[in-house]
Amino acid sequence: MRSIAELQNQVRSGSQLRITNHEKDSDETFVNMSLYSGIVEYFPEELVVTLKAGTTINEVNQILGENNQALPFYIDNPDKTIGSLYATSGPEFSDSVLGVQIINGKGELLNFGGQVMKNVAGYDVSRLLVGSMGRLAIVTQISLKILPKKIAVKFQNQPSLKNTKPTLGLYFEQKLKKVFDPYGVFL
Amino acid sequence: MSVISQLTKALPKNTVIIGDENTRPFECDGLSVYKQKPLAVVLPRDISQIKKVLEICRKNNTPVVTRGAGTGLSGGATPLEGCVVLGLSRLTRIISIDAENKTAIVEPGVRNLAISDAVEEFDLYYAPDPSSQIACSIGGNVAENSGGVHCLKYGLTVQNIEAIKIITIDGEELLLSRQDKGLGLLALMNGSEGLLGVITEITVKLTQKPQLAKLVMAGFSSVRDCANAVAEIIKAGIIPSGLEMMDKFAIEASEAFAHPGYPVDAEALLLCELDGAEDTVVHDLNKVVELLSKATSMRISENEDERLLFWKGRKSAFPAIGRLSPDYYCMDGTIPKRHLADVLEQISNLSEQYKLRVANVFHAGDGNLHPLILYDAGRPGELEKTEDFGMDILKLCIEVGGSITGEHGVGIEKLDAMCHQYNSAELDVFHQIKAAFDPHSLLNPGKAVPTLHRCAELGRMHVHHGNLPHPELERF
Ligand SMILES: Cc1cc2nc3c(=O)[nH]c(=O)nc-3n(C[C@H](O)[C@H](O)[C@H](O)COP(=O)(O)OP(=O)(O)OC[C@H]3O[C@@H](n4cnc5c(N)ncnc54)[C@H](O)[C@@H]3O)c2cc1C
Repeated sequence: MRSIAELQNQVRSGSQLRITNHEKDSDETFVNMSLYSGIVEYFPEELVVTLKAGTTINEVNQILGENNQALPFYIDNPDKTIGSLYATSGPEFSDSVLGVQIINGKGELLNFGGQVMKNVAGYDVSRLLVGSMGRLAIVTQISLKILPKKIAVKFQNQPSLKNTKPTLGLYFEQKLKKVFDPYGVFL
Repeated sequence: MSVISQLTKALPKNTVIIGDENTRPFECDGLSVYKQKPLAVVLPRDISQIKKVLEICRKNNTPVVTRGAGTGLSGGATPLEGCVVLGLSRLTRIISIDAENKTAIVEPGVRNLAISDAVEEFDLYYAPDPSSQIACSIGGNVAENSGGVHCLKYGLTVQNIEAIKIITIDGEELLLSRQDKGLGLLALMNGSEGLLGVITEITVKLTQKPQLAKLVMAGFSSVRDCANAVAEIIKAGIIPSGLEMMDKFAIEASEAFAHPGYPVDAEALLLCELDGAEDTVVHDLNKVVELLSKATSMRISENEDERLLFWKGRKSAFPAIGRLSPDYYCMDGTIPKRHLADVLEQISNLSEQYKLRVANVFHAGDGNLHPLILYDAGRPGELEKTEDFGMDILKLCIEVGGSITGEHGVGIEKLDAMCHQYNSAELDVFHQIKAAFDPHSLLNPGKAVPTLHRCAELGRMHVHHGNLPHPELERF
């Protein structure tokens, strides 16, 4: 199990990092998030779950299932981690995002959004970073809106657009990369 | 040539408005305690005119405050000294309706309710319904990521927008859509309070009107019983289309104002709306009635007129309470629902401490509180006292894991409160995002995100997510 402090150190001392969820990617150029996993907070009546990024969808499904609740978005492969889904998804996923904790390219631990349904204080960074392919920051923790199973399945059956290439095509995306990762630590 | 002359020369007659008398209606938004005269107000009729305004302002380093209908409650559209107000109230065209794909393309000045009216013939509507929906503009809704009483089930503005066009201060036009790959720029623009770009066109998602909608109205002898009922309904797997709560003061005021037949002897009122296919509604309704076993009174709407009447009390709660006092101040904090009863108790304690009355209405389903503090701005010091009270409420929301604003935005009103919710590194990210889109800080500058200096001046120790900075240091 990795700690936030360890991850921060790795960013501060690393230069060219790749964020991964595969155990085999173990040398120091990889930030392996699969070891940073677990449910941080879950209150069924809040319809909110907070997860460490390395938690697999299978694990989440099991816990939510006990309360007849589920994640309300398309999941192509339940062996994936929530962090990897976050990094590669689009609006169908970000519709359910309520908050994130990240480590930026300077190694700072930052929180955006929260664990409540509504929050319009500050720019919506927690939805901005959905689809960022690990190129702007390490996403360490994610809070999601969940739904009763019978309602969630409707959304689970709608395949979403996938990001396939780590392109930051637009000029503004390049600028935003510099905001989060000014030294270009994340490859 | 002065900025006003340049604007007048570049734009058609009756587009540039100057002079105190003429610009007075634009001096404030819905938060009328803050007022400021602008340099000029410009009311363009099309995108090319918007571009001209931005170009002239950019060249002259003149700040621009974009304005929709001016119903905002946090000072987002309040003019800044020497600014040009870019009013979009003349851009009211519904460009196209695609009933099959359930979308409509509209200009930013179109009123929220006008969209639903325009698509009614297709049995569709635009779901997010701020109480100001007869007046507020869709551009303003996107800029604030507005909510309403139906967002627990149907989402906030951000979930109901398919695409937008924006123009940056540099005149660049961007089309941002849900179909885009890459960063969530469309989501970023939702709630950006006019600081990143001018929203010039919006593709909204439309929703099929439900077959049936029923509203349950239940009175409780305590706020705690009512709050527990909210949790029970959600735990039972039901997502009501509306789940609203009011306290005794709000019930009495709304009943006296709109006569919806609310139980005035109750300590708390729950409004629970169920909508959808007939059989689902009937099924859920039975379940809800079962779960409301602690209610001291209960009525179920028997027809559409009655359902709308029950809603009318809630939807006119602000003006109803407003007429009981010279002034009122509307708060907008959010909290995890499980803390509802405790937070209300503390607000009531604060109310005694400050000797200011409070009425509470809230979107209970999503933990969004609207305490309304009653005060008299005519009494010296009372506005300041009210603002201190308000800040205490917001700090309470942060302490229990919530937020200082759920739907009304930061504007100028909650700049200090932002210093409590975010640390300086996080605020710095916000400033840099602003700079990425608006490097010379000309679009609504100084709003929404406090300067680090301002937060330092506040001199308060920042407690973030329950953690003190540098916990390793001893404190005395
Ligand atoms: C009685 C009352 C009830 C209300 N109820 C609710 C409610 O239930 N839920 C809720 O969420 N809000 C509510 N509000 C607040 C307000 O109506 C919303 O914030 C609304 O979205 C503001 O729209 P507007 O057109 O009036 O925007 P304005 O007040 O004109 O502007 C709001 C902000 O958006 C920016 N802006 C406006 N248009 C654009 C554009 N085209 N491009 C870029 N920036 C733009 C402005 O610069 C400003 O920062 C209520 C207000 C009142 C007075």
